[in-house]
Amino acid sequence: MKTESLKTSAHESSVAVETSHIRRHFMPDRICVLTFDRIGSSANVFDRATLMELDRHIDFVERVPNLRGLVLVSGKKSIFIAGADLHAVSRMDTEELRGFAVLGQRVFSRIANLSLTTVAAIHGAAMGGGAELALACDRRVMSDDSATRIGWPETSLGILPAWGGCTRLPVIVGLAKALELIVSGKSVSALAAKEMGLADAVIPIGCLIETALEQIWLGSPEKRFQGWNNYVASTFLRTVYNHRLSNQRRHYPALGQAVDVTTRGVSLPVSESLKAEQVAIEKLFSTDTSKNLIHHFLQQERAKKRSGPESCVISNVAVVGAGVMGAGIAHWLAGRGVHVQLQDVRAEQLGRGMESIQKLFQDGIRRGKTNATEMRNALDRITPVQGDVPLRHMDLVIEAATERMELKCALFRSLVARSGPRTMLATNTSALSVTRIAEAAGAPERIVGLHFFNPVHRMQLVEIVAGRRTDPELVRRMVSFAQQIGKLPVVVSDSPGFVVNRILMPYLMEAAHLFESGAAVGDIDAAMCDFGMPMGPMRLMDEIGLDVAADVARTLTRAFGDRLGSPAILSRMLDQGLLGCKSSAGFYLHDGRNAKPNPEPARWLADHSATRFSRAELQQRMGLVMLNEAARCWEERVAIAPEQIDFAMVAGTGFAPFRGGPLRCIDTFGAARIVECLTDMVASRAGLRFAPCVLLQELAESGAKIFSKPGGKK
Amino acid sequence: MIERLVIVDGVRTPFCRAGTEFASLSADELGRVAVASLLARTDLDPHLVDEVIFGCVGQPAETSNIARVISLRAGIPERVPAVTVHRNCASGLEALTQAHQRMCAGLGSVFIVGGVENMSRSPLHFSFRAAEKFQKLARAKTLFAKVSAWAQFRPSDFSPRSALQLALTDPVCGLNMGQTAELLARDFNITRSEQDTFALESHKRALAAHQKLAEEICPVYVNGRAVIADNGPRTESELDRISKLNPVFDRAHGTVTAGNSSQLTDGAVALLVMSESRAAKLGFKPMGILTGYAHAGCEPARMGLGPVYAIARAETATGLALAQADLVEINEAFAAQVLAVVAAAQSPEFARKQLHRDTTVGGISLEKLNVNGGAIALGHPVGASGARLVLTSLLELRRRNGHRALVALCVGGGQGSAAWLERNK
Repeated sequence: MKTESLKTSAHESSVAVETSHIRRHFMPDRICVLTFDRIGSSANVFDRATLMELDRHIDFVERVPNLRGLVLVSGKKSIFIAGADLHAVSRMDTEELRGFAVLGQRVFSRIANLSLTTVAAIHGAAMGGGAELALACDRRVMSDDSATRIGWPETSLGILPAWGGCTRLPVIVGLAKALELIVSGKSVSALAAKEMGLADAVIPIGCLIETALEQIWLGSPEKRFQGWNNYVASTFLRTVYNHRLSNQRRHYPALGQAVDVTTRGVSLPVSESLKAEQVAIEKLFSTDTSKNLIHHFLQQERAKKRSGPESCVISNVAVVGAGVMGAGIAHWLAGRGVHVQLQDVRAEQLGRGMESIQKLFQDGIRRGKTNATEMRNALDRITPVQGDVPLRHMDLVIEAATERMELKCALFRSLVARSGPRTMLATNTSALSVTRIAEAAGAPERIVGLHFFNPVHRMQLVEIVAGRRTDPELVRRMVSFAQQIGKLPVVVSDSPGFVVNRILMPYLMEAAHLFESGAAVGDIDAAMCDFGMPMGPMRLMDEIGLDVAADVARTLTRAFGDRLGSPAILSRMLDQGLLGCKSSAGFYLHDGRNAKPNPEPARWLADHSATRFSRAELQQRMGLVMLNEAARCWEERVAIAPEQIDFAMVAGTGFAPFRGGPLRCIDTFGAARIVECLTDMVASRAGLRFAPCVLLQELAESGAKIFSKPGGKK
Repeated sequence: MIERLVIVDGVRTPFCRAGTEFASLSADELGRVAVASLLARTDLDPHLVDEVIFGCVGQPAETSNIARVISLRAGIPERVPAVTVHRNCASGLEALTQAHQRMCAGLGSVFIVGGVENMSRSPLHFSFRAAEKFQKLARAKTLFAKVSAWAQFRPSDFSPRSALQLALTDPVCGLNMGQTAELLARDFNITRSEQDTFALESHKRALAAHQKLAEEICPVYVNGRAVIADNGPRTESELDRISKLNPVFDRAHGTVTAGNSSQLTDGAVALLVMSESRAAKLGFKPMGILTGYAHAGCEPARMGLGPVYAIARAETATGLALAQADLVEINEAFAAQVLAVVAAAQSPEFARKQLHRDTTVGGISLEKLNVNGGAIALGHPVGASGARLVLTSLLELRRRNGHRALVALCVGGGQGSAAWLERNK
């Protein structure tokens, strides 16, 4: 009789939820399976509708008598559930957000409170809300596929796991592990999850459901004793984390909130801990920080999404020039399955290049990014070639030779002659005109700029530079190529310095100016770190290399006149061989990992450190030149949208991500105030380089914003 | 009409004395570098390759069928088969002749052939008796069984046998290769000083040909350094010492020394070969053509004379007489052995008794023989030498505007291999 009624209701429901994102069916032994399979998307996400739907399924499950268990599984190829729908979140107002947070928590709590055994069968990524759903289940089984990962990236988006994550994770893995996961935002593999007790079984994908069913018969797991989950230990951990995060907490309030809620939660009743999650996330949603971080994340996802068809895979690339950039690019490509011919005219340079590539792979092994076999295979994909060889079968040639116009022009003439008609040609120039190189080579439509940043394996951004006559199809192919190799492409127009270097250089030069006028190296860097940059400008110049920085600055000065006003101290340091990290001395003295300010350059300046600058003053001068230049970039439409400029700066330079980017900063601070400050600076410092650009002045007058709606899509 | 096999292009790694530059590289790595450089140099689409055939004599245990490992590592598609061939010192030439046979059999038209050897890494073996004891130890479960298994070992069980020594000893006649050379020196009355003079000439020619040899070499990058040249040829000052070396194989009365024998060497050679029509279709201009070849057997104890038998046989096959060669390459296993070949080739008695023919094979002028030095100076990575002779002689034909070259090798175990090549005009 009962089986009968079950069948009928199952039938009814399958009709009722035909257009839904969650399918329901029954397995023998009275087990219900919910399959998350979002319609029209390759990923499962939680939006309001999906949560409501899940809620209805739970209504049903509660009503069916004698149900033994519930299995949650995904119908997608490589994603379990990717978390909350951030697109939807970014469009919600504060009231909607609160409702959304409450709804998710309520639904998940219902699952946690079900009397039957619940098992999450996880294959693919379980992130954020998806991972919290898994926590609400009694048991979790995971596939051993490399795509299967679980993690809580909320804090990196300026929020915290508030659908029970902060409350339930410590119960399962212990407070110490839970804090590590929540604060770092990093995901872990199935095996690591098993080790920390997060997964109850790790099995091949083929046995996933079977194992999940077996788990149901095991019932709810016994509660493990967690040594950290008590008042004393949690207070200790809270103190440790607060101390460790003291630098970041100011700009990333989510970190502090997450630590607070999680550590306090272990000694509170579940309902109160959940309440605390609610209060915290409401507070965090009201800040610009989370909006900017979510916005940047979405931009990043958009940049990653393959735009070209999958069949357009580029598999043979010649990299010309085995210097730092050439070797870096070759290393990155080979690690991503691309066959690389690394060319150089000098055998010794190739030897050094190959050695540095090997070192990069070995570093990768040390950091657990790769293993010896993968490294060998990747190294095998690189063929060092001395001298000119035919390139007829290459899909793409990336030139990474010395930054000299005549040299590049001659090189491209040779590349055009040697390559096949379908070979795409790209230059990795950081500041030279792609259009001029292309014209000189005699095949302007075939040449594009593909600007990688140093160090290639760490910098995700790639500027794709369309020359005046570059074939638009070629630009599209390059965007798709950047995505293929896991980089973030931004299309920019061919103007000196493109976006990143152009905005970065005035900032770096301003830092050098400040140093000349008496500010201490440490103060300058501290001020900008305080602003939210990952690294101060002096340190950054040392990393880039003073020679490279001066070279780019010279190109920009040639194009834009004295706006940069390259400081005399730089050329003096270059003369003395102080090149930064590569010569172990620049503004800092570098000794392995340690760096302390170099007293040498300061000594050259008469009564250096006579003038004292306040931190605010330092921030203002360096920050505002950057904002001013960013506005100019947008004014000249160097990129197609202001988001793109902001995105390039955040991804390419680490520009304080919680501020959203330089253009977003202009909106936040208000153009009028910025123009006022800049005008003051022009007057007091007699520095014409501070003159506000036309766009800023217009914005100041009209009171308009660059972005029509903060945080939203344009 | 049967299609001819053409040699489109070729390249080799530098040849480096065992235990020097390439000691840290595996044999498959050397082979990979050669094949990858060949692909880069010719811009060949690797999908066009029908098979990869590589010679290797001392195949490392970890890369059984080393040709397959080289092929995959060099980026040749997985569906392309690869085979390792072994005819001792002629393995590199065997790879080429097998490509020809496959082409004739209709089994493909584009091949990458070559040879590879890393003699630095030749392993040491435990004796079989010791291996048995190790097995017993591995099977022992209880502590008592383990202890008693250990107790069976004797100090001599731990003295290893050199795989290289084993490989260089003929199991049939029981002679070491050097001893077979001593035999020839005695048979043909070749003095120590004749051998040393020949060896000196080999070094001098190799040194003088430094620039020419660079054309066939691709650099190998080892720990940030580019190795770009052979390191076998000795400088003038070192050459003085050749006459002072002691005989190695017959210490009391022998004449064969380390100085007048080929060197133990690491290196790899890769050649791109195709049927003539396929090369034309793909737009390649080949270096040369494989006109004909022969492998022949002889007495194992006098394996050094193998080339004479092979050249005679190749003459029957092609109708080409020694005199028609503009260049002759005879692999210099030992100075005594090459000189014995030269002597036997013009001996009417040898022709009658051994070759059963009325005329001699012919005289070999030293002007035409191993003009850029041979294995005594450049080294003899056994699996690779045969392919190197083909590459070296075709390039030299081009330089001299010559027409035909004859390459021949003696083969341990009592064989000889010879191949006629002609320049593609």
